[in-house]
Amino acid sequence: MSTPADLPAAPTVKENPSFEILYWVGCAASYDRRAQRIARAMVRLLRHAGVNFAILGKEEKCTGDSARRLGDEFLFQELATANIETLNKYNVKRIVAHCPHCVNALLKDYAQFGGHYEVVHHTQLLAELISAGKLPAVAGASAPAAAGAVTYHDPCYLARVNGIHEAPREVLNTAIGGQSLCEMKRNRANTSCCGAGGGRMWMEEDPKQRVSTQRAGEALATGAKTVATGCPFCLTMMSDGVAANGGEARVLDIAELLVERLGLNPPAAPANNAPATS
Amino acid sequence: MTPTRETFGNIPLSSQLAFYALAAASMAVFAWGVYRRWKLWRLGTSINARDLITGSLAAVWQKIRGGAKRVAVDAGAQKRVFGHGIGTFAHVSMYVGFMALFVGTVLLEADNVLSHIHHALKFHEGAYYVAYEFTLDVLGLLFLLGTLFFLGRRLVKPPALGHRATDWYVLLGFLAIGVTGYIVEALRILWQQPTGIGAHCSPVGLWLAGVLHLDVAAARSSHFLVWWIHSFLVFGFIASIPFTRLFHFVAGPMHIFLAKNVLGAMPPVTMEEVEATGRVGPADIRHFSQQQLLSLDACMECGRCEEVCPAFATAKPLSPKRVVQDLKGAMEKTAAALAAGKEADVPPLHGTVIAPETLWSCTACSACVNTCPVRIDQLTFILTLRRHLVAEGALSGTAATALRRMQSNSNPWGLPAAERTNWTDALTPKS
Ligand code: SF4
Ligand code: SF4
Repeated sequence: MSTPADLPAAPTVKENPSFEILYWVGCAASYDRRAQRIARAMVRLLRHAGVNFAILGKEEKCTGDSARRLGDEFLFQELATANIETLNKYNVKRIVAHCPHCVNALLKDYAQFGGHYEVVHHTQLLAELISAGKLPAVAGASAPAAAGAVTYHDPCYLARVNGIHEAPREVLNTAIGGQSLCEMKRNRANTSCCGAGGGRMWMEEDPKQRVSTQRAGEALATGAKTVATGCPFCLTMMSDGVAANGGEARVLDIAELLVERLGLNPPAAPANNAPATS
Repeated sequence: MTPTRETFGNIPLSSQLAFYALAAASMAVFAWGVYRRWKLWRLGTSINARDLITGSLAAVWQKIRGGAKRVAVDAGAQKRVFGHGIGTFAHVSMYVGFMALFVGTVLLEADNVLSHIHHALKFHEGAYYVAYEFTLDVLGLLFLLGTLFFLGRRLVKPPALGHRATDWYVLLGFLAIGVTGYIVEALRILWQQPTGIGAHCSPVGLWLAGVLHLDVAAARSSHFLVWWIHSFLVFGFIASIPFTRLFHFVAGPMHIFLAKNVLGAMPPVTMEEVEATGRVGPADIRHFSQQQLLSLDACMECGRCEEVCPAFATAKPLSPKRVVQDLKGAMEKTAAALAAGKEADVPPLHGTVIAPETLWSCTACSACVNTCPVRIDQLTFILTLRRHLVAEGALSGTAATALRRMQSNSNPWGLPAAERTNWTDALTPKS
């Protein structure tokens, strides 16, 4: 059953109490201008596939992943308890998140505090929808997505920590329509970090010492013109890294690539490149 | 004649007795060495190891089967050693050769004991003997090959690989054990003069016998001498296991048995714990668990964790291997201080043993945990150590700001909840 048509594009749990899957947006896509585009892409895809979903809206709080890994256990527990209460209030069973840190926190951290949910990464849900035929490629879709070679950076909290590396590739293969992926040497469980995990997203760093510069260099060395990722932190880091390498490649989330492929972007898509920093 | 050989052929009874006395002595040194390390692990918080062996047989099996499976797969089949090119190959060949020689020696002794009980129980003969001799003869080569590779690598010294002076002793000892073993065999062939398959089932020994080319009397006397040298080397090796890198034979499987390693999970802390202990996060080595302290001894400084660490690769002051080794040093210092009754000499972990910048450099990527052959969880050490720093207010700068924002606005950007859905506006462009 799809989301009722008379509701806003991204209805909240209050507006659509009969939702089947909760879309956990996460702080990055809620507040970071660049990452917001991932959330919009997801909503377009979910609606296109006729998924009945809802978001928590104002009631969503940070999962607390960064707090826990930075060492502020009690701040994390405060956020976790509040979120678990909200999720239980709305009787949430299945969650989709596009942030691997949110996926890991909702799945592994929250289980320790009584929150048990089925949590999937957006690439897993998209792979599911594709194989169920719910996201048919639009015939004669606009320009083929991702001109030039494409590489995929596996986020560590997705590929290594949670073993999710094939679903993103399946979705990517659909998105890039038969082009083959140029794999970096370190991929899947052996992927290299983008440098933003463990709270380092919030730390300043000497550009010469940035993990992101090194990893983006590896991505560019494949000759890729598009670097795909599946994590809003990786997106920021890889974008900075590509710039630091003086590279030209576009950095996009897999959902954004799929939206391009299906021609779901509105004609005048807001093109705001500058990520909000504060 | 059935192919076989006497177990203590050419060795007089007095030497046999001395042999057993030395065997017992070397094992006693081994046990004492293990006990010394075990006492160090006991400094940690209890893991209730005894619980593992209480309850019905079925309940015990339920509790230990996960660990037993990990030991079989990770250590027995060397699964976690794989994926490291020629180093993997060398380790596995050394391991296979070593295990074959070890199991072979145990079988030999079993045969010896059984044949003393009743001569019909002797099994070290006939087809079994031929297969036994051949297998050990050939696998001994694998052992030597692995040893030679590791000796070569000590000369090259890859940067991530730890090195201690005793490593030379261990590897040269292995080499000597392997070579004297073959010489003993060759000399035995020379004095025993076996015929037919009994001689040909040890191809390396037979070849060496041809090279040595001694008469029976000379072979007998040199056999006795080299047999003793070989025995001394083996006993020295057994006794030195707990004092050298070889200790990973013991601590490695033990830790693999205990460690589950769920990537991405962290141990929670409760308010009750904080009230009971008066602290958040570990501040000295005794605040880690016994399993964590055992893991420090399981580390053989292979450097794999350092090789995959993105923080290390970008010249930050962090190497997961260093963290493990530094904590191990702190464990030893703490034990020494306590033994001397000087509580004041127990090194504080923060600042003294591990610098805060080291802890803040970690991206929690889990690559180190995922790659460690003995399942050491470097990341949990790092992340729980951070807790103490945060509780002490030692985190400053942009990360501290992010935490404050999460506290006040429930998001690290510090923006109001009311703006959480602003991104949806662009989904329905206003006309
Ligand atoms: S912690 Fe593990 S991977 Fe790292 S050096 Fe020690 S044994 Fe090797
Ligand atoms: S988890 Fe931390 S210590 Fe381990 S490899 Fe990643 S950055 Fe290095």
